[in-house]
Amino acid sequence: MSLRLNNLVVTHGGKVLVEADQLDFERGQPVTIVGESGSGKSLLAHAIMGTLPPNLTARGTLTVDGRSYDVGDQSNRRGLWGRTMSLLPQEPVLALDPTMRAGEQVAEGALTFSTDKRGARRAADTLLSALGLGKASRAFPHTLSGGMAQRVAFAAATIGGAPVLIADEPSKGLDQRARTELAELLRSHLDGGGVLLTITHDLDLARGLGGKVLVMKDAHVVEHGPAGRVLAQPEHPYTRRLLAAEPSHWRHPWMRNPLDVAERTGAVLVSGEGLSKSFGSEQLFSDLSLEVRAGERIALSGPSGSGKTTLGNVLLRLLPPDTGTVQHADVLKRGRLQKLYQDPALAFPPRVQLKDALGDVVRRHGLDLSRIEELMGSLRLAPELLHRRPGQISGGELQRIAIIRSMLLEPALVFADEPTSRLDLITQEETMRCLMEQVDRLDCTLVLVTHDDGLAAAVTDRSVTLGAASSLPVPVPEVQFAGG
Amino acid sequence: MTNAVAMHELSPAPAQSANRPHWVAGRTKTQLISAALLAALAVFAIAGPLAWPDHALQDLSRFLEAPSAAEPLGRDHLGRSVIARLAHATQLSLVMAVLCVSAALLFGTLAGIAAAWRGGWVDSVLHGLSEVFIALPALLVVLVVSAIANGDLWTLCLGLALAQWVEYFRMVRARSGLLLAGPAVEAAGLLRLGPAHIMRRHLFPELRPLLSTMATFGVGSSILALSTLGFVGIGVRPPTPELGLMITEAFPYYHEAPWMALAPVLVLTTILIGLLGLRSKESRA
Repeated sequence: MSLRLNNLVVTHGGKVLVEADQLDFERGQPVTIVGESGSGKSLLAHAIMGTLPPNLTARGTLTVDGRSYDVGDQSNRRGLWGRTMSLLPQEPVLALDPTMRAGEQVAEGALTFSTDKRGARRAADTLLSALGLGKASRAFPHTLSGGMAQRVAFAAATIGGAPVLIADEPSKGLDQRARTELAELLRSHLDGGGVLLTITHDLDLARGLGGKVLVMKDAHVVEHGPAGRVLAQPEHPYTRRLLAAEPSHWRHPWMRNPLDVAERTGAVLVSGEGLSKSFGSEQLFSDLSLEVRAGERIALSGPSGSGKTTLGNVLLRLLPPDTGTVQHADVLKRGRLQKLYQDPALAFPPRVQLKDALGDVVRRHGLDLSRIEELMGSLRLAPELLHRRPGQISGGELQRIAIIRSMLLEPALVFADEPTSRLDLITQEETMRCLMEQVDRLDCTLVLVTHDDGLAAAVTDRSVTLGAASSLPVPVPEVQFAGG
Repeated sequence: MTNAVAMHELSPAPAQSANRPHWVAGRTKTQLISAALLAALAVFAIAGPLAWPDHALQDLSRFLEAPSAAEPLGRDHLGRSVIARLAHATQLSLVMAVLCVSAALLFGTLAGIAAAWRGGWVDSVLHGLSEVFIALPALLVVLVVSAIANGDLWTLCLGLALAQWVEYFRMVRARSGLLLAGPAVEAAGLLRLGPAHIMRRHLFPELRPLLSTMATFGVGSSILALSTLGFVGIGVRPPTPELGLMITEAFPYYHEAPWMALAPVLVLTTILIGLLGLRSKESRA
């Protein structure tokens, strides 16, 4: 099995979106493409699969086992889907059919499904059990966690025995543990003799997979080489910048050494005592007591589904606890307690221009309209963005506008609920920098919900960990491919 | 997500025609034709009664007179001018329908927002009331109300509004419930923006497209309901011209004067086609 891509060019109108001279893929040798959003990473994967949006034009040749395919003709690779190539889609929770049980969706991917449904279902159950999802076979996708849905999608993508697996941002939205499991799954595909192409902006995943790394920027591959070298001693300035954007490499004036602030004892802003909360039969936390003092920077961490956001909402008194009490200090009154959301697009009224959404805050509280311009400037945003609606600007920019909105009232406490978990590394650094500069300027308290330990360490002084993750190892299936 | 945005930006932007007026830009051809049809009818409903003011004047010597230049639709079995009666009937139908729909829309929307916002007993009472009205057939409600007050125009209007408010109430309640529980309203609460902001920026922009589509259909169904009542003889009382009543009255003379029965049918059809064509596609969202 070998795969080679020659002279690929993807364009829209006259604009080049992806350009790559030659890419070789070999068995057992992972290839990982890293880069920020909009660099053309995903389009490259779709160009190989033949699933580009119809308004894009592609040129180039793809050679699979000696047979050449014209990349411009999208339909000629349909016969390879499932048998030779398969795609592990972005955001598996959205990619799975919500009305079909997990096992059935996996069985559909089996090559024998049209002739032997029972055999296909048996094969699906075997594969899911091998992935530790025996019970989830009868479950609907919305009842699965992000990591479980990822494994179901993996099973569906690999049941056909396709040796070439293309994984498009597979670690997006997964917590640390699910990401480790994912890396093991992808490795198992390689160990079975498969070809793996991973598109990601997660450098840890790229390191974990090893093999070859390509760095993409503005439609071009700017650097490539073995993962160990590229991700340790980068040559291209862009790769260096990408590596510096990892939270563990951050150097900013607002960062402070946790040891220096250990003795800080500001006034208590929020105190929760004996808190517990459960949804249905699931106990998220019980008898939890927590104090947030002025000037502190606290991380709420833990795996997804452990109740971080719920605890935050209880502390903000947006949600009543089942037992226990939450006290707020008087300084938090009149809007001096603000929240940032994971998906900023949901935190703004969707059909209202941003200038009106921000203007309302200014008018309501009798502030000066020039405050908005001033903050737009210091958060390095173009003023024209205010004339758009929330859906018309990128996630990183909208999150920065959400930061501006919350900073207008000069809050004493900001609760940030995974504000950067959907952003790529460079955008994440820029967004956190904007947030922390404001936090530092106002000497405001920060409670940051995150499942990224590196980010928590870079930004906060102490961390509250919820839901100690059970450390059951996830079984890894053995894969064998015929031919080669 | 980011890639979805990128793909979205790549799709060709809709052609912007800069030199067309604002209200024409972005409308489909169907919508423009429908709007023109409705505008023509509205002109007829406003100017018609002025041009042919006397709809009740009888002249039995001109019994079933055929159409002529002075009387474009001829005269009916009592020698009354059909075009005068049609103009008055169209005006009555349109005014009544708009009044009914406005009343139902206003009450249904306010009740829906109140139920979603306050919850608790307000929600229970309003929701229970709406269940009662759903259980009753709409025409029965109208019949009961108009029977109580002996067929006056305002009771017909009230009856129709009572039959219609439920759909506005249920839609607004369901949609507002979702919006009010969402993060955008939660953020507005933390920013202390107050209820007026939530109504203006969060609820109104989301509800408006849905309500305008529902109101368009509501006008159509009110006009139909009104003429149904006229047709079976329990709506507006006779000398007042009404589309349904005119159809009933014209039926016995269909062979001698088919234009008499067809004219009100044509007006009804035009109104309904116009209203159906007017609805915008965005309300699907």
